[in-house]
Amino acid sequence: MSKAAHGYRLYWSPWFFLLLLTLGMLLASFLDWPPWILVTLLLGAMLAKAGFIAGNFMHLRFERPGLILMVALGILATSALLFVLLAVDAIRIHRLSGV
Amino acid sequence: MSEGHTAQVMETVWSASSSPFGVSWQKLMMWVFIVSDGLLFAGLLTGYSFVRLASPSWPDRAEVFHLSMIGFMTFLLISSSATMASAVAAAQRADSRAVLRFLLMTILGGLSFLGMQAYEWTSLIQEGARLTSNPWGVPAFGASFFMITGFHGSHVLSGVLILAITAWRAGRGLGSPQGVELAGLYWHFIDLVWVFIFTLFYLV
Repeated sequence: MSKAAHGYRLYWSPWFFLLLLTLGMLLASFLDWPPWILVTLLLGAMLAKAGFIAGNFMHLRFERPGLILMVALGILATSALLFVLLAVDAIRIHRLSGV
Repeated sequence: MSEGHTAQVMETVWSASSSPFGVSWQKLMMWVFIVSDGLLFAGLLTGYSFVRLASPSWPDRAEVFHLSMIGFMTFLLISSSATMASAVAAAQRADSRAVLRFLLMTILGGLSFLGMQAYEWTSLIQEGARLTSNPWGVPAFGASFFMITGFHGSHVLSGVLILAITAWRAGRGLGSPQGVELAGLYWHFIDLVWVFIFTLFYLV
């Protein structure tokens, strides 16, 4: 396989998996499954897609661990912490509304 | 570890001519920018999550959105990311014609995405959705939708402009592989953000 073709396959193979994941997520959102299963599946697929894009298209998986850690901690860990800190209050307010 | 050894290690790793992350300073700064811009969207999405969790109800997304079109928009952005990555690979092989071809395909994908997003906005506005009210009974829904998709759309627009300049430079033989790579990092970031918006706002 030529170098060019090998280079393109690095991007178009993840593209195919991303497409499959997207279709799967769209179909799953219309299924009548318990919400917690659906949300877990959708969030898992979302993180998988993010990993594919960051790792392959952005070449992050070929970079040094320090850079990967900076990006992962900088965005994902900070966002998750922010969400968890606020979610507790949000759920409390939701319960106060009597639903 | 002795003090002298520590000093030697620090000098090697942090000296002016080397990067502890093993990338050029331009690429490192683009990643730092991406992290900070990512936190902007993290704030917007967390705010939306708070409002949604706290709200007693939320509009049915299948009722409000054209989900098949949104799905196609997602496909467009993912495909444009693949063409952008191919442009970066072509730039590293010094194949300027392929660079231009893939950049133009990426720009087309971005413009198509923006056109469809504009259609979605127009459709919702015609149904009565505004920043402070909407016909679906949850006032915060409109603000969440327009703020999140508006910020993302403006990033896509600026990305298209950056790519247009990069393509123009590539066409004139002025660009460098690193320039295409840095533009590519920004474009992939935009796609990455849409993955989160698509899931958290349209599907969940």
